[in-house]
Amino acid sequence: MTPPDFQSFQHAFGRHLRDPQHTPRPPGVPARRMQVYNELLFNNLTGFLDACFPVSRSLLGDARWRRLNRTFYRDWKAQSPWFRDIPGEFVRYLHEGSIRQPLPACLPELAHYEWAELAVDTMDCPIPGHDPAGDLMSQPIVLNPALLNLSYAWPVHRIGPDCRPRRAQPTHLVVYRNAAEQVEFVEINPVTHRLLSLLANAPTSGERACRQIAEELQHPDPKRLQAFGSALLADFQRQGIILGVQP
Amino acid sequence: MPQQFPHLPAAAERCSRPGRPAQGAGLGFRRELIGALQGGVPAAINFFELAPENWAGMGGRSARELRHFTERYPFVCHGLSLSLGGPAPLDERLLRQIRAFMNEHGMTLYTEHLAWSADDGQLYDLLPIPLSEKAVKWTVDRISRAQDILGMRIGIENASYYVAPPGAEMQETEFISAIVRQADCLLHLDVNNIYVNSRNFAFDPLAFLDGLPLERTCYVHVAGHYVEADGLLIDTHGAEVIAPVWSLLDAAYQRIGNVPTCLERDFNIPDLAILNAEVGRIAERQALAAGQQGAVAS
Repeated sequence: MTPPDFQSFQHAFGRHLRDPQHTPRPPGVPARRMQVYNELLFNNLTGFLDACFPVSRSLLGDARWRRLNRTFYRDWKAQSPWFRDIPGEFVRYLHEGSIRQPLPACLPELAHYEWAELAVDTMDCPIPGHDPAGDLMSQPIVLNPALLNLSYAWPVHRIGPDCRPRRAQPTHLVVYRNAAEQVEFVEINPVTHRLLSLLANAPTSGERACRQIAEELQHPDPKRLQAFGSALLADFQRQGIILGVQP
Repeated sequence: MPQQFPHLPAAAERCSRPGRPAQGAGLGFRRELIGALQGGVPAAINFFELAPENWAGMGGRSARELRHFTERYPFVCHGLSLSLGGPAPLDERLLRQIRAFMNEHGMTLYTEHLAWSADDGQLYDLLPIPLSEKAVKWTVDRISRAQDILGMRIGIENASYYVAPPGAEMQETEFISAIVRQADCLLHLDVNNIYVNSRNFAFDPLAFLDGLPLERTCYVHVAGHYVEADGLLIDTHGAEVIAPVWSLLDAAYQRIGNVPTCLERDFNIPDLAILNAEVGRIAERQALAAGQQGAVAS
Protein backbone atom coordinates (compact mmCIF):
# COMPACT_ATOMS: atom_id res chain seq x y z
CA MET A 1 0.00 0.00 0.00
CA THR A 2 1.40 3.42 -0.90
CA PRO A 3 1.43 5.83 2.02
CA PRO A 4 -1.18 8.62 1.98
CA ASP A 5 0.07 11.68 0.09
CA PHE A 6 -0.17 14.00 3.11
CA GLN A 7 2.72 12.04 4.57
CA SER A 8 5.09 13.16 1.84
CA PHE A 9 4.68 16.66 3.29
CA GLN A 10 5.41 15.34 6.77
CA HIS A 11 8.56 13.55 5.64
CA ALA A 12 9.79 16.61 3.74
CA PHE A 13 9.06 18.75 6.79
CA GLY A 14 10.90 16.34 9.09
CA ARG A 15 13.92 16.17 6.77
CA HIS A 16 14.17 19.95 6.69
CA LEU A 17 13.81 20.26 10.48
CA ARG A 18 16.64 17.79 10.96
CA ASP A 19 18.97 19.49 8.49
CA PRO A 20 17.72 22.97 7.50
CA GLN A 21 21.01 23.98 5.86
CA HIS A 22 21.24 21.12 3.38
CA THR A 23 17.64 20.19 2.57
CA PRO A 24 15.05 22.28 0.73
CA ARG A 25 12.27 24.01 2.63
CA PRO A 26 9.04 22.10 1.88
CA PRO A 27 7.10 23.75 -0.97
CA GLY A 28 4.43 26.20 0.16
CA VAL A 29 6.04 26.86 3.54
CA PRO A 30 7.09 30.49 4.16
CA ALA A 31 10.70 30.94 5.29
CA ARG A 32 9.80 33.03 8.35
CA ARG A 33 7.38 30.40 9.63
CA MET A 34 9.77 27.53 8.91
CA GLN A 35 12.41 29.40 10.88
CA VAL A 36 10.12 29.34 13.94
CA TYR A 37 9.99 25.54 13.85
CA ASN A 38 13.68 25.16 13.08
CA GLU A 39 14.53 27.20 16.17
CA LEU A 40 11.86 25.75 18.46
CA LEU A 41 12.72 22.14 17.80
CA PHE A 42 16.51 22.43 17.86
CA ASN A 43 16.45 24.65 20.96
CA ASN A 44 14.18 22.15 22.68
CA LEU A 45 16.64 19.35 21.93
CA THR A 46 19.76 21.29 22.92
CA GLY A 47 18.06 22.32 26.17
CA PHE A 48 18.00 18.65 27.24
CA LEU A 49 21.56 18.04 26.02
CA ASP A 50 23.05 21.16 27.62
CA ALA A 51 21.44 20.30 30.96
CA CYS A 52 22.89 16.79 31.03
CA PHE A 53 26.35 17.29 29.51
CA PRO A 54 27.97 20.48 30.88
CA VAL A 55 31.47 18.94 30.94
CA SER A 56 31.26 17.48 27.43
CA ARG A 57 30.04 20.84 26.21
CA SER A 58 32.89 22.75 27.84
CA LEU A 59 35.41 20.21 26.56
CA LEU A 60 34.30 20.79 22.96
CA GLY A 61 33.46 24.48 23.15
CA ASP A 62 30.08 25.79 22.04
CA ALA A 63 30.59 25.77 18.26
CA ARG A 64 31.79 22.17 18.07
CA TRP A 65 29.19 21.10 20.65
CA ARG A 66 26.34 22.59 18.61
CA ARG A 67 27.65 20.97 15.41
CA LEU A 68 27.60 17.61 17.20
CA ASN A 69 24.07 18.30 18.54
CA ARG A 70 22.99 19.03 14.98
CA THR A 71 24.38 15.83 13.45
CA PHE A 72 22.75 13.92 16.31
CA TYR A 73 19.36 15.43 15.45
CA ARG A 74 19.98 14.89 11.73
CA ASP A 75 21.35 11.35 11.76
CA TRP A 76 20.15 9.59 14.88
CA LYS A 77 16.50 8.58 14.78
CA ALA A 78 15.73 8.57 18.50
CA GLN A 79 12.79 6.27 19.23
CA SER A 80 12.03 6.92 22.89
CA PRO A 81 8.92 9.05 23.54
CA TRP A 82 10.33 10.07 26.95
CA PHE A 83 12.15 13.41 26.87
CA ARG A 84 14.46 12.31 29.67
CA ASP A 85 15.80 9.60 27.32
CA ILE A 86 17.21 12.21 24.92
CA PRO A 87 20.58 12.26 26.75
CA GLY A 88 20.74 8.44 26.70
CA GLU A 89 20.03 8.47 22.95
CA PHE A 90 22.85 11.00 22.54
CA VAL A 91 25.26 8.73 24.41
CA ARG A 92 24.27 5.83 22.13
CA TYR A 93 24.85 8.08 19.12
CA LEU A 94 28.36 8.88 20.37
CA HIS A 95 29.11 5.16 20.79
CA GLU A 96 27.30 3.70 17.76
CA GLY A 97 26.63 6.50 15.29
CA SER A 98 28.90 7.28 12.35
CA ILE A 99 30.28 10.71 13.17
CA ARG A 100 32.60 12.49 10.79
CA GLN A 101 33.40 15.39 13.09
CA PRO A 102 36.79 14.83 14.82
CA LEU A 103 36.14 14.42 18.54
CA PRO A 104 38.31 13.77 21.60
CA ALA A 105 38.71 10.02 22.09
CA CYS A 106 37.41 10.30 25.65
CA LEU A 107 34.15 12.07 24.69
CA PRO A 108 31.83 9.03 24.39
CA GLU A 109 32.88 7.81 27.83
CA LEU A 110 32.74 11.28 29.34
CA ALA A 111 29.20 11.74 28.05
CA HIS A 112 28.24 8.31 29.39
CA TYR A 113 29.61 9.29 32.80
CA GLU A 114 27.60 12.53 32.75
CA TRP A 115 24.48 10.61 31.70
CA ALA A 116 24.97 8.08 34.52
CA GLU A 117 24.00 10.67 37.13
CA LEU A 118 20.66 11.30 35.40
CA ALA A 119 20.10 7.58 34.84
CA VAL A 120 20.69 6.65 38.47
CA ASP A 121 18.70 9.63 39.77
CA THR A 122 15.57 8.52 37.88
CA MET A 123 16.04 4.73 37.80
CA ASP A 124 12.73 3.04 38.53
CA CYS A 125 13.76 0.21 40.84
CA PRO A 126 11.96 -0.62 44.05
CA ILE A 127 14.03 -1.37 47.12
CA PRO A 128 13.97 -5.17 47.56
CA GLY A 129 13.27 -6.78 50.93
CA HIS A 130 16.45 -7.03 52.96
CA ASP A 131 17.76 -7.49 56.47
CA PRO A 132 20.12 -4.61 57.26
CA ALA A 133 21.39 -6.36 60.42
CA GLY A 134 22.39 -9.67 58.77
CA ASP A 135 25.96 -10.92 58.43
CA LEU A 136 27.32 -9.83 55.05
CA MET A 137 30.03 -12.50 54.97
CA SER A 138 27.82 -15.55 55.55
CA GLN A 139 24.49 -14.61 53.94
CA PRO A 140 23.52 -13.64 50.37
CA ILE A 141 24.02 -9.91 49.95
CA VAL A 142 21.34 -7.54 48.62
CA LEU A 143 22.85 -4.72 46.55
CA ASN A 144 21.24 -1.32 46.14
CA PRO A 145 19.43 -1.72 42.81
CA ALA A 146 19.71 2.01 41.95
CA LEU A 147 23.36 1.56 41.05
CA LEU A 148 25.69 1.47 38.07
CA ASN A 149 29.02 -0.32 38.41
CA LEU A 150 31.01 1.33 35.64
CA SER A 151 34.36 0.79 33.92
CA TYR A 152 35.93 3.36 31.65
CA ALA A 153 39.18 3.42 29.69
CA TRP A 154 39.52 7.15 30.47
CA PRO A 155 39.62 8.98 33.83
CA VAL A 156 36.23 10.53 33.04
CA HIS A 157 35.65 11.88 36.55
CA ARG A 158 38.73 14.12 36.34
CA ILE A 159 37.97 15.70 32.97
CA GLY A 160 37.17 19.39 32.97
CA PRO A 161 38.07 22.53 31.06
CA ASP A 162 41.47 22.50 32.81
CA CYS A 163 42.03 18.77 32.68
CA ARG A 164 42.10 17.04 29.32
CA PRO A 165 43.65 13.59 29.65
CA ARG A 166 46.22 12.75 26.99
CA ARG A 167 46.16 9.04 27.54
CA ALA A 168 43.74 6.43 28.70
CA GLN A 169 43.77 5.30 32.32
CA PRO A 170 41.37 2.52 33.34
CA THR A 171 38.85 3.91 35.78
CA HIS A 172 36.16 2.18 37.81
CA LEU A 173 33.29 4.08 39.36
CA VAL A 174 30.20 3.09 41.23
CA VAL A 175 27.33 5.53 40.82
CA TYR A 176 24.34 4.98 43.10
CA ARG A 177 21.33 6.62 44.72
CA ASN A 178 21.61 6.75 48.49
CA ALA A 179 18.85 6.57 51.09
CA ALA A 180 18.47 10.35 50.94
CA GLU A 181 17.84 9.92 47.17
CA GLN A 182 21.03 11.72 46.24
CA VAL A 183 23.37 10.38 43.56
CA GLU A 184 26.83 9.49 44.85
CA PHE A 185 30.00 8.68 42.91
CA VAL A 186 32.72 6.48 44.39
CA GLU A 187 35.97 5.60 42.64
CA ILE A 188 36.89 1.96 43.20
CA ASN A 189 39.73 -0.34 42.16
CA PRO A 190 39.43 -3.21 39.63
CA VAL A 191 39.14 -5.90 42.34
CA THR A 192 36.30 -4.05 44.05
CA HIS A 193 34.66 -3.58 40.66
CA ARG A 194 34.86 -7.36 40.16
CA LEU A 195 33.43 -7.95 43.66
CA LEU A 196 30.41 -5.72 42.95
CA SER A 197 29.89 -7.50 39.60
CA LEU A 198 29.80 -10.87 41.37
CA LEU A 199 27.29 -9.57 43.91
CA ALA A 200 25.14 -8.08 41.15
CA ASN A 201 25.16 -11.24 38.99
CA ALA A 202 23.70 -13.58 41.60
CA PRO A 203 22.91 -13.46 45.32
CA THR A 204 26.20 -14.37 46.90
CA SER A 205 27.62 -14.14 50.40
CA GLY A 206 30.67 -11.97 51.00
CA GLU A 207 32.68 -15.04 51.92
CA ARG A 208 31.90 -16.85 48.65
CA ALA A 209 32.51 -13.77 46.53
CA CYS A 210 35.88 -13.17 48.20
CA ARG A 211 36.84 -16.82 47.76
CA GLN A 212 36.08 -16.61 44.03
CA ILE A 213 38.15 -13.46 43.70
CA ALA A 214 41.05 -15.07 45.59
CA GLU A 215 40.94 -17.93 43.08
CA GLU A 216 40.74 -15.61 40.09
CA LEU A 217 43.71 -13.58 41.38
CA GLN A 218 45.54 -16.68 42.65
CA HIS A 219 45.95 -14.65 45.79
CA PRO A 220 48.71 -15.96 48.11
CA ASP A 221 46.76 -15.15 51.29
CA PRO A 222 43.00 -15.74 50.84
CA LYS A 223 42.40 -15.15 54.57
CA ARG A 224 43.74 -11.63 54.32
CA LEU A 225 41.50 -11.06 51.33
CA GLN A 226 38.50 -12.24 53.38
CA ALA A 227 39.33 -9.76 56.14
CA PHE A 228 39.81 -6.99 53.63
CA GLY A 229 36.53 -7.92 51.91
CA SER A 230 34.62 -7.96 55.16
CA ALA A 231 35.72 -4.42 56.02
CA LEU A 232 34.98 -3.25 52.49
CA LEU A 233 31.45 -4.70 52.48
CA ALA A 234 30.67 -3.13 55.86
CA ASP A 235 31.86 0.19 54.48
CA PHE A 236 29.68 -0.25 51.38
CA GLN A 237 26.68 -0.88 53.59
CA ARG A 238 27.34 2.32 55.54
CA GLN A 239 27.44 4.21 52.24
CA GLY A 240 24.25 2.61 50.94
CA ILE A 241 25.86 0.64 48.11
CA ILE A 242 24.82 -2.56 49.89
CA LEU A 243 21.40 -2.73 51.56
CA GLY A 244 21.95 -5.83 53.71
CA VAL A 245 21.32 -9.54 53.26
CA GLN A 246 18.41 -11.53 51.94
CA PRO A 247 15.73 -11.81 54.64
CA MET B 1 24.34 2.40 61.01
CA PRO B 2 22.93 1.08 57.73
CA GLN B 3 20.96 3.65 55.80
CA GLN B 4 17.18 3.53 55.93
CA PHE B 5 15.88 3.40 52.37
CA PRO B 6 12.46 4.91 51.61
CA HIS B 7 9.80 2.41 50.66
CA LEU B 8 8.76 2.41 47.02
CA PRO B 9 6.27 -0.26 46.01
CA ALA B 10 7.31 -2.73 43.30
CA ALA B 11 5.49 -2.52 39.96
CA ALA B 12 3.35 -5.53 40.83
CA GLU B 13 2.25 -3.91 44.09
CA ARG B 14 1.37 -0.62 42.43
CA CYS B 15 -2.23 -1.58 42.13
CA SER B 16 -4.65 0.81 40.57
CA ARG B 17 -6.07 3.54 42.70
CA PRO B 18 -9.71 4.64 42.48
CA GLY B 19 -10.19 7.25 39.79
CA ARG B 20 -10.29 10.88 40.86
CA PRO B 21 -11.73 13.12 38.14
CA ALA B 22 -10.54 16.71 37.90
CA GLN B 23 -12.98 19.56 38.52
CA GLY B 24 -12.76 23.32 38.63
CA ALA B 25 -9.45 25.07 38.01
CA GLY B 26 -6.01 23.49 37.96
CA LEU B 27 -2.33 24.09 37.29
CA GLY B 28 0.37 22.38 35.24
CA PHE B 29 2.54 20.30 37.60
CA ARG B 30 6.23 21.11 37.26
CA ARG B 31 9.35 20.10 39.16
CA GLU B 32 10.22 23.76 39.70
CA LEU B 33 7.04 24.19 41.75
CA ILE B 34 7.31 21.13 43.99
CA GLY B 35 9.21 22.90 46.77
CA ALA B 36 6.61 25.65 47.00
CA LEU B 37 3.69 23.21 46.72
CA GLN B 38 5.09 21.11 49.56
CA GLY B 39 4.63 24.18 51.73
CA GLY B 40 0.92 24.06 50.94
CA VAL B 41 -1.23 23.89 47.81
CA PRO B 42 -3.08 27.22 47.42
CA ALA B 43 -6.85 27.08 47.68
CA ALA B 44 -7.68 27.95 44.07
CA ILE B 45 -5.88 24.88 42.73
CA ASN B 46 -8.29 21.95 42.56
CA PHE B 47 -6.21 19.65 40.38
CA PHE B 48 -2.91 19.31 38.53
CA GLU B 49 -1.96 18.31 35.02
CA LEU B 50 1.21 16.55 33.93
CA ALA B 51 2.81 15.13 30.82
CA PRO B 52 3.27 11.36 31.20
CA GLU B 53 6.39 11.71 29.03
CA ASN B 54 8.02 13.61 31.89
CA TRP B 55 6.88 11.48 34.83
CA ALA B 56 5.94 7.90 33.93
CA GLY B 57 8.43 5.09 34.53
CA MET B 58 10.60 7.12 36.88
CA GLY B 59 11.89 6.18 40.29
CA GLY B 60 13.70 8.06 43.00
CA ARG B 61 12.82 11.43 44.38
CA SER B 62 10.63 12.42 41.40
CA ALA B 63 8.42 9.37 41.79
CA ARG B 64 8.04 9.80 45.55
CA GLU B 65 7.21 13.49 45.27
CA LEU B 66 4.67 12.88 42.52
CA ARG B 67 3.02 10.13 44.55
CA HIS B 68 2.66 12.53 47.49
CA PHE B 69 0.54 14.86 45.35
CA THR B 70 -1.42 12.26 43.35
CA GLU B 71 -2.52 10.74 46.67
CA ARG B 72 -4.07 14.09 47.59
CA TYR B 73 -5.18 15.75 44.32
CA PRO B 74 -6.75 14.74 41.03
CA PHE B 75 -4.29 14.74 38.13
CA VAL B 76 -5.00 15.00 34.39
CA CYS B 77 -2.68 13.22 31.96
CA HIS B 78 -1.78 15.45 28.99
CA GLY B 79 0.44 13.73 26.43
CA LEU B 80 3.13 15.13 24.16
CA SER B 81 4.68 12.27 22.18
CA LEU B 82 1.86 10.10 20.84
CA SER B 83 2.05 11.75 17.39
CA LEU B 84 -1.64 11.12 16.64
CA GLY B 85 -1.31 12.40 13.06
CA GLY B 86 2.20 11.10 12.46
CA PRO B 87 3.44 8.77 9.70
CA ALA B 88 5.25 6.25 11.95
CA PRO B 89 3.33 3.30 13.48
CA LEU B 90 1.29 4.24 16.56
CA ASP B 91 3.39 3.73 19.71
CA GLU B 92 1.25 1.12 21.44
CA ARG B 93 3.90 0.43 24.03
CA LEU B 94 3.72 4.08 25.09
CA LEU B 95 -0.07 3.79 25.35
CA ARG B 96 0.17 0.72 27.58
CA GLN B 97 2.71 2.51 29.79
CA ILE B 98 0.37 5.50 30.02
CA ARG B 99 -2.55 3.26 30.94
CA ALA B 100 -0.56 1.67 33.79
CA PHE B 101 0.68 5.08 34.94
CA MET B 102 -2.85 6.52 34.98
CA ASN B 103 -4.19 3.53 36.93
CA GLU B 104 -1.38 3.79 39.42
CA HIS B 105 -2.18 7.44 40.12
CA GLY B 106 -5.97 7.37 39.81
CA MET B 107 -6.04 9.55 36.67
CA THR B 108 -9.23 9.37 34.61
CA LEU B 109 -8.60 11.76 31.71
CA TYR B 110 -5.95 11.57 28.99
CA THR B 111 -5.67 14.19 26.28
CA GLU B 112 -3.23 14.60 23.37
CA HIS B 113 -2.56 17.22 20.75
CA LEU B 114 -4.10 16.93 17.33
CA ALA B 115 -0.61 17.07 15.84
CA TRP B 116 2.33 14.90 14.89
CA SER B 117 5.76 14.75 16.51
CA ALA B 118 7.78 11.96 14.86
CA ASP B 119 8.78 10.88 11.36
CA ASP B 120 11.01 7.81 11.42
CA GLY B 121 12.35 9.09 14.73
CA GLN B 122 11.13 11.42 17.44
CA LEU B 123 11.22 15.13 16.59
CA TYR B 124 10.19 16.03 20.16
CA ASP B 125 7.78 18.84 19.29
CA LEU B 126 4.27 19.32 17.93
CA LEU B 127 3.73 19.85 14.20
CA PRO B 128 0.60 20.59 12.13
CA ILE B 129 -1.24 17.82 10.28
CA PRO B 130 -2.21 18.55 6.65
CA LEU B 131 -5.97 19.15 6.55
CA SER B 132 -6.92 16.38 4.12
CA GLU B 133 -9.57 13.64 3.97
CA LYS B 134 -6.88 10.98 4.09
CA ALA B 135 -5.32 12.62 7.15
CA VAL B 136 -8.74 12.57 8.85
CA LYS B 137 -9.10 8.85 8.26
CA TRP B 138 -5.48 8.15 9.22
CA THR B 139 -5.81 10.08 12.49
CA VAL B 140 -9.26 8.69 13.32
CA ASP B 141 -7.94 5.13 13.04
CA ARG B 142 -5.07 5.94 15.39
CA ILE B 143 -7.29 7.67 17.95
CA SER B 144 -9.67 4.71 17.87
CA ARG B 145 -6.80 2.31 18.50
CA ALA B 146 -5.50 4.54 21.32
CA GLN B 147 -8.96 4.56 22.91
CA ASP B 148 -9.14 0.76 22.63
CA ILE B 149 -5.80 0.35 24.38
CA LEU B 150 -6.56 2.91 27.09
CA GLY B 151 -10.10 1.64 27.54
CA MET B 152 -11.52 5.17 27.55
CA ARG B 153 -12.34 8.11 25.33
CA ILE B 154 -9.45 10.53 24.96
CA GLY B 155 -9.54 14.29 24.43
CA ILE B 156 -7.78 15.82 21.43
CA GLU B 157 -6.44 19.34 21.72
CA ASN B 158 -6.62 21.98 19.00
CA ALA B 159 -2.91 22.76 18.63
CA SER B 160 -1.02 25.95 17.91
CA TYR B 161 0.97 26.04 14.67
CA TYR B 162 3.04 28.45 12.62
CA VAL B 163 2.74 26.80 9.21
CA ALA B 164 -0.49 25.87 7.44
CA PRO B 165 0.47 22.76 5.46
CA PRO B 166 -0.26 23.40 1.76
CA GLY B 167 -3.03 21.60 -0.08
CA ALA B 168 -5.69 21.87 2.64
CA GLU B 169 -8.98 20.27 1.58
CA MET B 170 -11.03 21.74 4.41
CA GLN B 171 -11.12 24.30 7.22
CA GLU B 172 -9.38 23.35 10.45
CA THR B 173 -12.68 23.39 12.36
CA GLU B 174 -14.09 20.91 9.83
CA PHE B 175 -10.98 18.77 10.23
CA ILE B 176 -11.30 18.71 14.03
CA SER B 177 -15.08 18.14 13.91
CA ALA B 178 -14.76 15.24 11.47
CA ILE B 179 -12.10 13.57 13.61
CA VAL B 180 -13.98 14.03 16.89
CA ARG B 181 -17.19 12.67 15.31
CA GLN B 182 -15.64 9.72 13.49
CA ALA B 183 -13.28 8.68 16.30
CA ASP B 184 -16.02 9.25 18.89
CA CYS B 185 -13.50 11.06 21.05
CA LEU B 186 -13.63 14.23 23.16
CA LEU B 187 -12.45 17.78 22.54
CA HIS B 188 -9.73 19.36 24.64
CA LEU B 189 -10.24 23.05 23.97
CA ASP B 190 -7.18 25.32 24.16
CA VAL B 191 -8.33 28.94 23.98
CA ASN B 192 -4.82 30.37 23.88
CA ASN B 193 -4.02 28.20 20.86
CA ILE B 194 -7.11 29.55 19.08
CA TYR B 195 -6.03 33.11 19.88
CA VAL B 196 -2.40 32.58 18.80
CA ASN B 197 -3.44 30.94 15.53
CA SER B 198 -6.11 33.58 14.87
CA ARG B 199 -3.49 36.30 15.08
CA ASN B 200 -0.84 34.43 13.09
CA PHE B 201 -3.31 33.41 10.36
CA ALA B 202 -5.74 36.34 10.51
CA PHE B 203 -9.01 34.63 11.32
CA ASP B 204 -11.86 35.38 13.73
CA PRO B 205 -11.31 33.40 16.96
CA LEU B 206 -15.00 33.46 17.91
CA ALA B 207 -16.07 32.07 14.57
CA PHE B 208 -13.43 29.37 14.98
CA LEU B 209 -14.73 28.58 18.46
CA ASP B 210 -18.26 28.24 17.09
CA GLY B 211 -17.02 25.89 14.38
CA LEU B 212 -15.71 23.37 16.91
CA PRO B 213 -17.70 20.40 18.29
CA LEU B 214 -17.98 22.20 21.64
CA GLU B 215 -20.60 19.80 23.01
CA ARG B 216 -17.73 17.29 23.18
CA THR B 217 -15.49 19.49 25.35
CA CYS B 218 -13.98 17.55 28.25
CA TYR B 219 -11.20 19.91 29.28
CA VAL B 220 -9.89 23.44 28.67
CA HIS B 221 -6.42 25.01 28.55
CA VAL B 222 -5.56 28.64 29.05
CA ALA B 223 -2.02 30.05 28.83
CA GLY B 224 0.15 33.01 27.96
CA HIS B 225 2.28 33.43 24.86
CA TYR B 226 5.16 35.49 23.47
CA VAL B 227 5.05 38.16 20.77
CA GLU B 228 8.10 38.31 18.49
CA ALA B 229 9.46 41.61 17.14
CA ASP B 230 7.60 41.20 13.84
CA GLY B 231 4.29 40.51 15.60
CA LEU B 232 4.30 36.73 15.26
CA LEU B 233 2.83 35.07 18.35
CA ILE B 234 4.68 32.07 19.82
CA ASP B 235 2.79 29.67 22.08
CA THR B 236 5.42 29.57 24.82
CA HIS B 237 3.30 29.16 27.99
CA GLY B 238 5.88 31.56 29.38
CA ALA B 239 3.85 34.66 30.27
CA GLU B 240 0.63 35.65 31.99
CA VAL B 241 -2.69 35.19 30.23
CA ILE B 242 -3.71 38.31 28.30
CA ALA B 243 -7.15 39.97 28.29
CA PRO B 244 -8.31 38.79 24.82
CA VAL B 245 -7.58 35.19 25.84
CA TRP B 246 -9.58 35.63 29.07
CA SER B 247 -12.43 36.98 26.93
CA LEU B 248 -12.20 33.96 24.68
CA LEU B 249 -12.36 31.73 27.76
CA ASP B 250 -15.51 33.59 28.87
CA ALA B 251 -16.99 33.07 25.42
CA ALA B 252 -16.18 29.38 25.64
CA TYR B 253 -17.80 29.06 29.09
CA GLN B 254 -20.94 30.79 27.77
CA ARG B 255 -21.18 28.01 25.21
CA ILE B 256 -20.07 24.96 27.21
CA GLY B 257 -20.65 25.90 30.85
CA ASN B 258 -18.15 25.05 33.52
CA VAL B 259 -15.54 22.55 32.29
CA PRO B 260 -12.30 21.66 34.17
CA THR B 261 -9.66 24.16 33.08
CA CYS B 262 -5.90 24.16 33.52
CA LEU B 263 -3.47 27.06 33.52
CA GLU B 264 -0.34 26.05 31.58
CA ARG B 265 2.89 27.70 32.64
CA ASP B 266 6.10 26.11 31.39
CA PHE B 267 8.67 28.94 31.22
CA ASN B 268 9.52 32.04 33.28
CA ILE B 269 7.66 30.38 36.11
CA PRO B 270 6.68 33.00 38.72
CA ASP B 271 5.93 32.58 42.42
CA LEU B 272 3.21 30.14 43.31
CA ALA B 273 1.15 33.04 44.72
CA ILE B 274 1.05 34.66 41.28
CA LEU B 275 0.07 31.39 39.61
CA ASN B 276 -2.57 30.84 42.28
CA ALA B 277 -4.07 34.25 41.53
CA GLU B 278 -4.23 33.36 37.83
CA VAL B 279 -5.83 29.98 38.59
CA GLY B 280 -8.23 31.94 40.81
CA ARG B 281 -9.26 34.05 37.83
CA ILE B 282 -10.22 30.81 36.03
CA ALA B 283 -12.30 29.75 39.03
CA GLU B 284 -14.10 33.12 39.15
CA ARG B 285 -15.06 32.79 35.51
CA GLN B 286 -16.23 29.23 36.05
CA ALA B 287 -18.43 30.35 38.95
CA LEU B 288 -19.84 33.15 36.82
CA ALA B 289 -20.55 30.73 33.94
CA ALA B 290 -22.23 28.28 36.32
CA GLY B 291 -24.38 31.15 37.72
CA GLN B 292 -25.41 32.28 34.27
CA GLN B 293 -26.30 28.75 33.27
CA GLY B 294 -28.36 28.42 36.45
CA ALA B 295 -30.15 31.68 35.61
CA VAL B 296 -30.93 30.43 32.12
CA ALA B 297 -32.19 27.13 33.48
CA SER B 298 -34.50 28.66 36.14
